Amino acid sequence: MNTPSHRKLRGYAFDPSLSIRLDTHSINEIIYKVPWEDIDYSDGTLRGEYIEVIDYDPTVETFYETVNFKSESFLAQNGLSPSESNPKFHQQMVYAVAMTTIKNFERALGRKVLWSTRKLEYDPEHGKDQYEEYIDRIRIYPHAIREANAYYSPQKKALLFGYFHSNPIDQADQMPGTLVYTCLSHDIIAHETTHAILDGLQRHYNHPTNPDVLAFHEGFADIIALFQHFSFPDVLKHQIAKTKGDLSRQNLLGELAQQFGVAIGHYGNLRDAIGGINENGEWEPKTPNPNEYNEIMQPHERGSILVSAVFEAFLSIYQRRIADLNRIASNGTGILPEGELHPDLVNRLASEASKTAQHILHMCIRAIDYCPPTDITFGEYLRAIITADSDLVSSDPYAYRLAFIEAFKKRGIYPVGINSLSVESLRYPKITVSENPDSLIKVIASFLRGYANRIAYHNDREHIYEITKAVISGIPLNEEIEEEYGRKVNRQKDDFKIRALETESINYSYNDKIHAYSKHLKDLRNIMDMRNDEKIIGLHKRVTIKFNDFNEFAELTGLVFGGRGKRYGIKDSLTDYGMNMAAFSIQNLRLVSRVGPNGNKVNQVIFSIIQKSNVIIKDNEFLKYHNGSSNKKPNLKKEEKLFAYKGSCTLIMDLDTRELKYSIKKPIVIKRGDEIELNKKAIKDQWGFQNEVTVNAMSEFQKYFSAAINDNAFEPFALLHQH
Amino acid sequence: MINYDTITDVDIRMYGTGTGDCFVLKFFYNTEKTFTMMIDGGTWKGTKAHLSKYVNDLKDYVNGHIDLLVITHEHKDHVYLFDACSDIFINDFTFDEIWMAWSEDDQDDLVKEWKDKFGQKKKALAMASDQINLKLKDTTLTNQLKRGFKGEEIVGRFNHFSDALNDFKALHFSADKTGEYKGGLKGMDIIKNTIAKDNIRYCKPGEIASISKLPGVKFHILGPPQSIKAIRKEHGKKGTNDTYDHNKVLKRSDSFSAVITDTTTNIGQSPFDSKYKTDCNKIKTYYNNEDAFWRTVDLDWLVSGAGNLALRVNTGINNLSLAMAIELEDSEKVLLFPGDAEFGSWESWHTIDWDKKPDNGKHLTEDLLNRTVFYKVAHHLSHNGTAKAKGLQMMTSPDLVSMATLDFDAISSNWKTTMPNRGILKELINKTKGRLIIMNEKNLFYDFDEKIPLADRIKSERSRLNEKQQKAYKEAYKEEKFYKQYRIKV
Repeated sequence: MNTPSHRKLRGYAFDPSLSIRLDTHSINEIIYKVPWEDIDYSDGTLRGEYIEVIDYDPTVETFYETVNFKSESFLAQNGLSPSESNPKFHQQMVYAVAMTTIKNFERALGRKVLWSTRKLEYDPEHGKDQYEEYIDRIRIYPHAIREANAYYSPQKKALLFGYFHSNPIDQADQMPGTLVYTCLSHDIIAHETTHAILDGLQRHYNHPTNPDVLAFHEGFADIIALFQHFSFPDVLKHQIAKTKGDLSRQNLLGELAQQFGVAIGHYGNLRDAIGGINENGEWEPKTPNPNEYNEIMQPHERGSILVSAVFEAFLSIYQRRIADLNRIASNGTGILPEGELHPDLVNRLASEASKTAQHILHMCIRAIDYCPPTDITFGEYLRAIITADSDLVSSDPYAYRLAFIEAFKKRGIYPVGINSLSVESLRYPKITVSENPDSLIKVIASFLRGYANRIAYHNDREHIYEITKAVISGIPLNEEIEEEYGRKVNRQKDDFKIRALETESINYSYNDKIHAYSKHLKDLRNIMDMRNDEKIIGLHKRVTIKFNDFNEFAELTGLVFGGRGKRYGIKDSLTDYGMNMAAFSIQNLRLVSRVGPNGNKVNQVIFSIIQKSNVIIKDNEFLKYHNGSSNKKPNLKKEEKLFAYKGSCTLIMDLDTRELKYSIKKPIVIKRGDEIELNKKAIKDQWGFQNEVTVNAMSEFQKYFSAAINDNAFEPFALLHQH
Repeated sequence: MINYDTITDVDIRMYGTGTGDCFVLKFFYNTEKTFTMMIDGGTWKGTKAHLSKYVNDLKDYVNGHIDLLVITHEHKDHVYLFDACSDIFINDFTFDEIWMAWSEDDQDDLVKEWKDKFGQKKKALAMASDQINLKLKDTTLTNQLKRGFKGEEIVGRFNHFSDALNDFKALHFSADKTGEYKGGLKGMDIIKNTIAKDNIRYCKPGEIASISKLPGVKFHILGPPQSIKAIRKEHGKKGTNDTYDHNKVLKRSDSFSAVITDTTTNIGQSPFDSKYKTDCNKIKTYYNNEDAFWRTVDLDWLVSGAGNLALRVNTGINNLSLAMAIELEDSEKVLLFPGDAEFGSWESWHTIDWDKKPDNGKHLTEDLLNRTVFYKVAHHLSHNGTAKAKGLQMMTSPDLVSMATLDFDAISSNWKTTMPNRGILKELINKTKGRLIIMNEKNLFYDFDEKIPLADRIKSERSRLNEKQQKAYKEAYKEEKFYKQYRIKV
């Protein structure tokens, strides 16, 4: 039997609360169509390619039986019917929504979703010689917390869903004491899954370096959850009929987490993109307020500024797209007749709404590739949306891009450093590189074409990960392994020598390591169809070598390459040809291959460079850089503080023209006159944010229990910051 | 009958027992007779031997007799002296009157019901704290966590969290020698059952009390907020914002505390039919696989649940502080003792339906704040202890003097991040022109960067006082080994 293309699974469109409301019960049960995949039950869990569902409830130390998608009765009925009392249905629901969300991303990105790796403690002397660990699946625990909360844990690479007894403000809305399961809410599952996917795309976005960073995570996750509503045809038609096509009126599509919101004592949903309940208990549309962007710092609330901007862009495009339908239906008066809309009209409106929503969703997702790898702001996200869309879609008759600009402008979100809010000035400028280095860039571009070819036909996500990693770090020849690896190891041994002698615990088998490494490379060659005498000089090394014209590349990337890193607080690392060069890391290497609606093709390879500058701060001002090459902690005076500032850039290479197209940067160094100098303003801003502003933005929990907002132990993405 | 004349002075003495409140107020009349009032007797920590020195000094100061004892709320830093030095208080002191908040009236059925529930939460907090301690001792978990990036730091953070939680635990209840939960604080128990013998006046907001032995003084009860009825009613009206913070702890069912303390009822058990449970070993082996132990979730729900619970319980009790404005009628001066009231309580003071309406047309609460010349800072200068617009900004008297019971030598280390709050500190120093008396200024700084010692800043701010004020302040202030004292001249 051929495998079917999809697995149909029943679930709630929103959450269980809408199934017991007269006006919505008929549309709340939908069928999720998830691309077919084999499920592995061998360990007793529900394990697919991307996720594994483990239904263990630590609060009562109980494991629940795992739902089996294989049984005939299951298949015949599109899975279990929605039920709050059956944990197996809960598993089905999280699986269906998480996979739907993942697949939406893959459709928009045109490539496979990879999870963020697990960073490891790097300590080769004690056998810890890996920087990171590949994560094949995220874990989903549908019943992991006994509170009104749910989160993606970047530490555990897991989604934890809570359940709790509801405490509604008005008993007419919900029976007090009702058990509320966050794992049964489409919005919450989609939101948390998006956190995990975004972490895989941009791992530094969980470090708040300005007020927008965590807010972006929250807002983006809400945007995905919201626009997924529009992919449920029956729900869409129902709501269009109800609002007579005017989606700026109160409707379910613009609301998030109904049951959860009521259960924790809100007057309705948890968040609403277009309006809210006013003092009289009535719904009213939200008017954009530019002050909010300056005042609101709590990540969820700040994120909802972004959400409402995107939603407004959606609404204005939708209005334009249905203008003709409205004219037809209203005989040109613009005023629709009393009574219900004709079902045909509803269908047409729904189709426009769904199309627009999908476009918006894709624009929002694709823009992630065009964002700086660290320190994202809403303004930069707007620029990324405009740039990514301009690259792919040449003509823009419905003025999607203007709609975005307009909506962001109304909320006081302005990108820094541009002169006017036009599409032209918001689009990142194309790079011009002088003749000589340009040719060097062409060499790198050609090399990346090779990467594109190697990666293009791989579907196995772990292979994609391994190949990408190998392209960054290189594949040496067999005879070079010992040299290459041995040098690395020896250097590390030197670094650790003193400590190692003290502890006398050199647990280290050199030959074993070499052996394992060469086997690993052999496997890689197999995957990559490489001959045994073929080698790859890694991208990292190529950048080190090619980007050696200090001034040119410092200006281009805002980062420091070559031998002058120490002057800017950047650590050196010893290259294999024995020279000290400024250290940096390459991340997020990815192929972007998309076809636009008019046949435009985008063939790009994108990668990010991240670099760290260690500086000493005094009186909230930059005092001096810290000599980066020393491993020792500096002797600081009492009022001096050591601060690590991360600079970064995203480089976008056009594979067709072999040109470096954009450099989207968060500079460590900037050019002033002919001088290259440290970006002191950015350092000061970031320091100020992390040391003063955040104290006010910290939740009560953080205030009492953790020392800093960047606390690795605690979860940054809780659905609700309680107190 | 002794005929009193008017009050001439009030001495406010703050005992330096460590972060925590222990105040004695002595009202002097121009006759020999005085009236002594004690507000709270607590500290964050200290041995019996150490604390006895303070209590003995206090005893000598008041000749073993307190006319009025006020206990603001049941937190260790407000009642611990009665536990550690119970023998002195029981044998060598006499107390005429004892006042507490209405919410301490255990005879009241509604309070009792509420206290039972609240007790459950406190117990849950204690048990969760113990479970977290236990889990963190499991090296399978900690070793796995340490393998990850910054793993040592993360494990350290969890340990820090566990310590912080233990501190919260100690703030709220007594444990026996084995660390088992034993119920409410022993200090409170001793006051209620041994010292007071049920002779307690329970005060409600809106009451204006006076004592026959203390003519010319009115006690305006500000908090704790809400009548018992309102407490029982869990929420405000739809569409209004009149729910108070402490209502949060009155949730009909708190899933987290239920599952910790009570596994016998429905709430504490698995919500699903037992037929769905599985004892399949495969899945257990998989979950408990040592290499993937960092992905297990047995600790997470405890950390998040217990942390939030601790904060809720803490705010709940703080907002149940007996808060009072003591008015010296002739001079119209007001001494404000809010206990540890947090914002929710402050806010409610402005909605009290007072019988008395000031001539100036203001709400009495605002009027009292306007006339405040002495403010005992609530909650040791923390961010949530002093309301801004509805509190400090209304204290407009040019004579304002303030005392804060903060001492970094005796405090939970985890409180140091929230205390002192720079914003409140700045405004207080400004408002009092440096007449802010802190229990122990050592290791306290005015600014974030810890460059300006607080003591220096306070001193330099005092230069803003005119000569007469400076002289007056010098005369009124007294500092000895065991206490700091300020005299209000009437």
